[in-house]
Amino acid sequence: MPQRRVLIVDDALFMRNTLRDIFTGAGFAVAGEADDGVQAVNLFRELKPDLVTMDIVMPYKSGIDATREIVQHDPGAVVIMCSALGQESLVMEAIEAGATDFIVKPFRGEDVLAVVKKVLGE
Amino acid sequence: MVEAPHKYLQAFITEATEQLEQLASELVRIEQEPPGGPLWDSIFRRVHSVKGSGATVGLVSLVDVAHAAETLIGRLKAQQKRPERAHVDLLLQATDALAQQVRRASGADRDPAPETVAPRTLVERLTAASQTLPDVAPASAPPKPVQKPTADPSLPRIDVAFSLIKACQAPGARALIVQRKLKGAGTLLEMDPPPSALMQKKGGARVTALLATARPVEAVRALFDGIPEVDEVEVRLAPVATAPAAEPPPPPPSTPVLAVADLAGSEETRAEATVRVRAQALDQLLDQAAEVLHGIARLREAARHLPEKAAAQFEAEIDRLRRTARDLHGRVMNARLTPFSSLTERLPRAVRDLAHRLGKEVELEVQGGEVELDRTVIEALADPLTHLVRNAVDHGLETGAQRVAVGKSARGLLVLSARRERDKVLVEVSDDGAGFDAARLRRRAIDMGMLSSEKVAELTEQQSYELAFLAGLSTRAEATDLSGRGVGLDAVKSAVEGLGGKISLRSAPGKGSRFTLELPLSVSMANLLLVQVGGELYGLPMTRIVATTEYDLSARGGEGFEARSLAVMGQLVRAYSLAKMFGLPSLAPPGPRPFAVLEVDGITFALAVDRLVGQEEAVLKPLFPPIDRVRGLAGTTVLGNGRPLLVLDPRGLHELAESTQRLRGAA
Repeated sequence: MPQRRVLIVDDALFMRNTLRDIFTGAGFAVAGEADDGVQAVNLFRELKPDLVTMDIVMPYKSGIDATREIVQHDPGAVVIMCSALGQESLVMEAIEAGATDFIVKPFRGEDVLAVVKKVLGE
Repeated sequence: MVEAPHKYLQAFITEATEQLEQLASELVRIEQEPPGGPLWDSIFRRVHSVKGSGATVGLVSLVDVAHAAETLIGRLKAQQKRPERAHVDLLLQATDALAQQVRRASGADRDPAPETVAPRTLVERLTAASQTLPDVAPASAPPKPVQKPTADPSLPRIDVAFSLIKACQAPGARALIVQRKLKGAGTLLEMDPPPSALMQKKGGARVTALLATARPVEAVRALFDGIPEVDEVEVRLAPVATAPAAEPPPPPPSTPVLAVADLAGSEETRAEATVRVRAQALDQLLDQAAEVLHGIARLREAARHLPEKAAAQFEAEIDRLRRTARDLHGRVMNARLTPFSSLTERLPRAVRDLAHRLGKEVELEVQGGEVELDRTVIEALADPLTHLVRNAVDHGLETGAQRVAVGKSARGLLVLSARRERDKVLVEVSDDGAGFDAARLRRRAIDMGMLSSEKVAELTEQQSYELAFLAGLSTRAEATDLSGRGVGLDAVKSAVEGLGGKISLRSAPGKGSRFTLELPLSVSMANLLLVQVGGELYGLPMTRIVATTEYDLSARGGEGFEARSLAVMGQLVRAYSLAKMFGLPSLAPPGPRPFAVLEVDGITFALAVDRLVGQEEAVLKPLFPPIDRVRGLAGTTVLGNGRPLLVLDPRGLHELAESTQRLRGAA
């Protein structure tokens, strides 16, 4: 199976690094990283990753709006929202906007991979 | 996604047509209902349902009209006042337009006339009418059931249940993902609890859902494969596959799916379950049941050639088989029974419209809507009944002022009733109007040369009323486009008689009139007397045969008779030669000849035939155009030996004989 390519979107470097470790450790390739919604949309168009992890609350453009644009651009896009506890209504809004699934921070590596593998049908 | 809306177009047409018929009759009733009553909810739901399914099959302008109508209905309901007639008229117009679009979609609309009102104009009028009314307050927003999705009734329903694992930190979001997946696979009719209700509730919830979809159960189950944090997924076909069209979707399974499935096994649930069957399928079933009966008759015929020993046992077995087959035939006939109400549903609307146009007030009362009749009878009765009703409103009932002047209430009463009497159904159309004018009918009959003045003088009052059934005899000189429609009471009479029924008319001057239609419960089995004429075999319905006799006419002037009198059971009756009437050569040897003596409408007459062949029970099949216009023919059937047979109509024969007689007399 070809290596899966992931785009990590989060305004916190810490979170981006954590996610990078989790994915590379599981054999994924990190295609790129974005720290706001605008960048996320641009990078998605450019890199066409297999998977996007998307923070919700970000500057310039929220994760929800970015997700909406990404899904409009590619209805088959797999976008997993990274939300914090207590953001359930935002997650639901993101799902309405086209997000594929979600993980709730704080998360353990195995939780993230379980959701990702399930969503990708592995 | 595997969406093929056209696949369900027929189901949509059937359902929408029913909804619109109901809608029209409810709109007529709404004027009499207390304001803001539950009828508005029903009206709203029907329009909404037609709109929803219309959108699914892609009927854009139907959706526009329905939407505008829905808005107006919502506001009228919120008004809590009796609606104005103009508003009801507009909604009825919209209903007609919707029905027409549905008919167009079915390809069945052969009406060359364009819409009386273009959909866009109608939408504008509806919108304009809505704008004159106050907006619906949020509190009394559309009734709840309206929010529920509707789905094609022919689609299988699938019960889904699943659990969210305890560790799930956002059950509302999780349930929303499941909901989206299910919605992507069909129409999600129910989800309990809904995702919003699961928000902020930590894991472990059990959720049930009802999905209408053409996809197999396995495919629906597979939807859960890509969803994390769900557990204990159960997917199965819902116990009742089809919900009655007028009903809201089945109630949510409040208990786990397992319990619902258990219920399905109980007798109680099963007894109430109904399935929708195409009428055509029932017709085919009936035809085949009839074929089985024919087959058995043929076997019986063949058994005659068996040696006597074997024949007895064979015949006993055939007899048993025949009983079973007859039972089967009877059951199929029963399945074809349709309630009288299916005929009367449209009438309140017709009565209302006509009465308004004529400036009359008419109350229509329908009794015995639950009485069931064979579908063939129901179908054949639609036009005659409509005609009688229109006739009563147009000619029978007086205007309010006329009524008040003679001491009646301003509002005329029109009663339509059906009741069962043994193997017959009596349908009556009565009104409390002016009644028929016997003197005028008599005068018209003489003027039109239908009866001599001597004959007319002999008629009793009641017999004079029956003159109204003569072709071309209408007491109103001017033709009316309202009740006229090119159909006269004579056409009503022949339609009823074509079904093997009878029609009579009673009337009292100033008090009203009553048409009584005596109809057979089922039309197809007939006991026939087989007669041979000119080498051809014909069937005569046994119900009309009074006697058979032999008479030697050669002693009284030979075979060339046109019409003679015979003494039958001490009574002189007219005798006609069937061979002569059909222009066939008589192949009977000189000497005594057999006669079938028949009775129609109290008149006894005899038909000379070449040979009386025997009796046979046969399934009567109706004639199709243009043969159905041949006077004297009632239908066809297939004999036990496989030969087709024409069945004669005694009433038609009598008329034929009489008219031939008159023609010859005139020449």
